[in-house]
Amino acid sequence: MSCLLSCLAYVKMYLHSCLFPRCSVNGLLLSSSSAGGAVCVTDCVPLLHSHLPLAPITQLALTQVKEDLRVQEGDQKGRREPGCRRWPNRLVELLQALVSRVPLPVLSPVDFCRLGTDCCPFLSRIMLRQWEETRDIASQLLESGDHGLLVDFDGHLDDITKDWTNQTLNAKIAELSSPANGSI
Amino acid sequence: MASLSEMYDVGWEEMRDKLRKWREDNCRNSEQIVDVGEELISEHSSKLGDDIWIIYEQVMIAALDCSRDDLALTCLQELRKQFPDSHRVKRLTGMRLEALERYDDANKHYDAILQEDPTNTAARKRKISILRAQGKSTEAIRELNEYLEQFVGDQEAWHELSELYINEHDYGKAAFCLEELMMTNPHNHLYCEQYAEVKYTQGGMENLELARKYFAQALRLNNRNMRALFGLYMSASHIAASPKVSAKVKKDNIKYAAWAAAQINRAYKMAGRGNKDNKCSIKAVEEMLESMQIAMP
Repeated sequence: MSCLLSCLAYVKMYLHSCLFPRCSVNGLLLSSSSAGGAVCVTDCVPLLHSHLPLAPITQLALTQVKEDLRVQEGDQKGRREPGCRRWPNRLVELLQALVSRVPLPVLSPVDFCRLGTDCCPFLSRIMLRQWEETRDIASQLLESGDHGLLVDFDGHLDDITKDWTNQTLNAKIAELSSPANGSI
Repeated sequence: MASLSEMYDVGWEEMRDKLRKWREDNCRNSEQIVDVGEELISEHSSKLGDDIWIIYEQVMIAALDCSRDDLALTCLQELRKQFPDSHRVKRLTGMRLEALERYDDANKHYDAILQEDPTNTAARKRKISILRAQGKSTEAIRELNEYLEQFVGDQEAWHELSELYINEHDYGKAAFCLEELMMTNPHNHLYCEQYAEVKYTQGGMENLELARKYFAQALRLNNRNMRALFGLYMSASHIAASPKVSAKVKKDNIKYAAWAAAQINRAYKMAGRGNKDNKCSIKAVEEMLESMQIAMP
């Protein structure tokens, strides 16, 4: 199975691992599937950086992400609120479909020392559109210290005023990857 | 580029005090320690008196953490000049070798320290850290168990062992280590909460009830521990939903879950006050709590 990784998903995964260089981290990959059978990972939700093998917080994080997506989808019907993300329709069903298609749990361990084609054992190929630009965006955000903007679910539980959906960071990545900036 | 003291308008005394606070709190904010410590050492070393040596040690360890071998070596050389026969400085030499992934050389170094002083716990723990860095969890667990047979009061070692067992999914033994920690630190809410998480992960009615009790204890010690609050809600909900429990147990756990849900909602409302972007997450939390709610008979 092939996987197309979006700039947003890659950059957030990269920044999550850079924010916690001494820890294992995990997260949720969100995707849609295309007609050709490739899985298109459009976004990722950074989840934990401590006690990954323990159940309660993982269960809580997955439930809250799922409900957040449902709420976002509900907001889509009828009106659009500024500040809320746009999600494609049926994202929850797509998430469940991804879980059923992928032999490992959705929380996929990624070894960033080897981030490349061999980091996801259940996928035969990982594709990144415009890899150079994506890598530049990731490096730029790291060097400017903006990786500190990223909030994972663990960080949210330490301070619930912090936004685990990372709206600010998402907007920054979107701005950097916009065609107007000569990027993607 | 402006120095830190110019950027933040702080004097060398404040920088020194900040480093002391980070030392006392055992913070691992290595990037900040390197930034502050490097400036303090290069610009104000003559004013620091005898504090300079402990600052060299602190900055050296932080520099290793940030892959700043140049700074680490500078600090180490100063310490070696001042304390040529010190085991504490030799340990730092070993740590530098570890940072360079020269594990065999580091081990020889620590073995030499242990030959001169078999009671040197720091060198023994560094050897165990090398095993951990090499991914040899089984050997690290074995060595740590042997170490704790001799040094049973070493809390750092008990905590390290609990982490190793959790990573190996050996939750029973992880729970035992956390019990040791709770006995010696009865007011530490984090140990109670972690013990509760391990019990929840183990599963089964008895473990769920223990998990609920220890989540509650963690909240008694710190009522702002959100993990404990969610944990209390989830464990109480699971117990109440079980067909094997009595009506009284079901009723009690429904009450505990309802209380926890109210506290969670209240916390999110307080956190989201004045922040319209948080409307989405408050609603999501409410819906999430509803989706996890037990079915009423």
